[in-house]
Amino acid sequence: MAQIEIRDLGIDYRKPKSNEVFSAVDNVELSIEKGEFVTIVGSSGCGKSTLLMAVAGLVNLSRGSIKIDGKQVTGPGPDRAVVFQEASLLPWRSVRGNVKFGLEMQRWNGGDLNERAMQMIRLVGLSRFSDYHPHQLSGGMRQRVNIARALAVDPDVLLMDEPFGALDAQTREIMGTELLRIWERHKKTALFVTHDIDEAIFLADKIVVMGRNPGHIKEVIKVDLPRPRDEAILDSDDFHSLRKRLRAHLAEDMSSMQLVKEVA
Amino acid sequence: MIVELFYRRQALILGTLSMIGLLVFWQIAVDAGLINPFFISTPSQVWTEFLVQFEDGQVAANVGATLYCFVWSMGLATVVGIVLGMLAGWFRDVESALEPFIWFKYSAPTVAFYPLFIAWLGYGTPTIIAIAFLFALTPIYANTLSGIKNIDRDLAKAARSFGAKPLDIFLQVALPGSVPVMMAGLRLGVGRALTGVVVAELFGANAGLGYAITYYGQLMQTTKMMVSIVIVILLGVILTQILSFLESKTDSWRVDSGR
Repeated sequence: MAQIEIRDLGIDYRKPKSNEVFSAVDNVELSIEKGEFVTIVGSSGCGKSTLLMAVAGLVNLSRGSIKIDGKQVTGPGPDRAVVFQEASLLPWRSVRGNVKFGLEMQRWNGGDLNERAMQMIRLVGLSRFSDYHPHQLSGGMRQRVNIARALAVDPDVLLMDEPFGALDAQTREIMGTELLRIWERHKKTALFVTHDIDEAIFLADKIVVMGRNPGHIKEVIKVDLPRPRDEAILDSDDFHSLRKRLRAHLAEDMSSMQLVKEVA
Repeated sequence: MIVELFYRRQALILGTLSMIGLLVFWQIAVDAGLINPFFISTPSQVWTEFLVQFEDGQVAANVGATLYCFVWSMGLATVVGIVLGMLAGWFRDVESALEPFIWFKYSAPTVAFYPLFIAWLGYGTPTIIAIAFLFALTPIYANTLSGIKNIDRDLAKAARSFGAKPLDIFLQVALPGSVPVMMAGLRLGVGRALTGVVVAELFGANAGLGYAITYYGQLMQTTKMMVSIVIVILLGVILTQILSFLESKTDSWRVDSGR
């Protein structure tokens, strides 16, 4: 059995003013194997973040089920950790304080918190900056802290919600390579939401393409590019053909575009 | 950096110069007979009188009495304002329950309650403290409330994703995040507490700067009265500056306020 089993998932929202109900995602079926790196790609409003937050246990399901290792997801748990977009570090805590935060919240008792945090900070290459505060760091460095915070709690599943979305193209590429380097060490199951096609291909074993109205899975594409990967594969033929295929999907979505606000 | 320092110093220099200019103008205008000193005295007379009042212990007694009431009222307002503000910021129902009182406080002048307090607490210190307490309470309460209530949703979500309990989110996210806003509330509170003390002393007291102001005012001894007015102004500036300093310390977030 797969590690993550999503069956017939539906999530409805009630619009605050009109009280009208709309579906953010519907009829989602997805299986993710242990150690797999899965990216979810789609244009804004396709419910990709909602799907991720549902796996994190941060939104309520309206229909269907999500199981991790056979256990129903009913809320956040120590088997999962989330890497959020930029602004999720505590600004009044140092880098080390932020990496310790998740451990503190989980009442971690696997040894010295400081040591564990420093180990993770070294892993993401920020040893020199452990006493810095978030406002003193660049966007890329902040996201390294974010990743370190999630990895520190040693989750089985790593959930990432457009973690590099606010970074410039160059930094984003570096962070992608860096993420893979870190991931190769433990091969934790990873679920990564993005709207960047190249990023989706570069990282993935499997790409989930989502469409909108309501958010649904259009296609699941296997990526057989060899690992470990580096920027060189961006120019390979396999990469190009995958990119073309994904572009076609997203273009199709754009043409049927309606102005729907994405609900995070 | 250097330019910024220059501008800050320049602002200080200009501010000082304009203050000195005012004092000189005040002195000259009176000396030249343009203004009757009865209305406004002169800086030199005020200074001489200050030394006299300082010598005979009046300054210490008045400042002492005023500060005593100030410390009590500000202390009470801080504790009550922050506790109520935290409860109201965290629990919607508490906020709704307290809302009418805050409305009263905003729309009715606090001094209007003065006769009531006289009836309950009598003339003197307890009434002064009660009035000043009410003066200072609102900004402290309101700022604490909005600080806790406007908790950063993204941070709260991140905390929840790590399994944070509501109390964790309150203590680790809402509270530290509100410290700068609370400090701003305290800074406003300090000014208002001092105002409250002095205003209450104007009406009924037997010591304090406000008392000295009315006492000499009624005797038409302008110079003696001006001494206390100047001291009140200086006191207000100093207290507010102390709070501004503390405020800038807490909102830079270069200090780990959580640990």
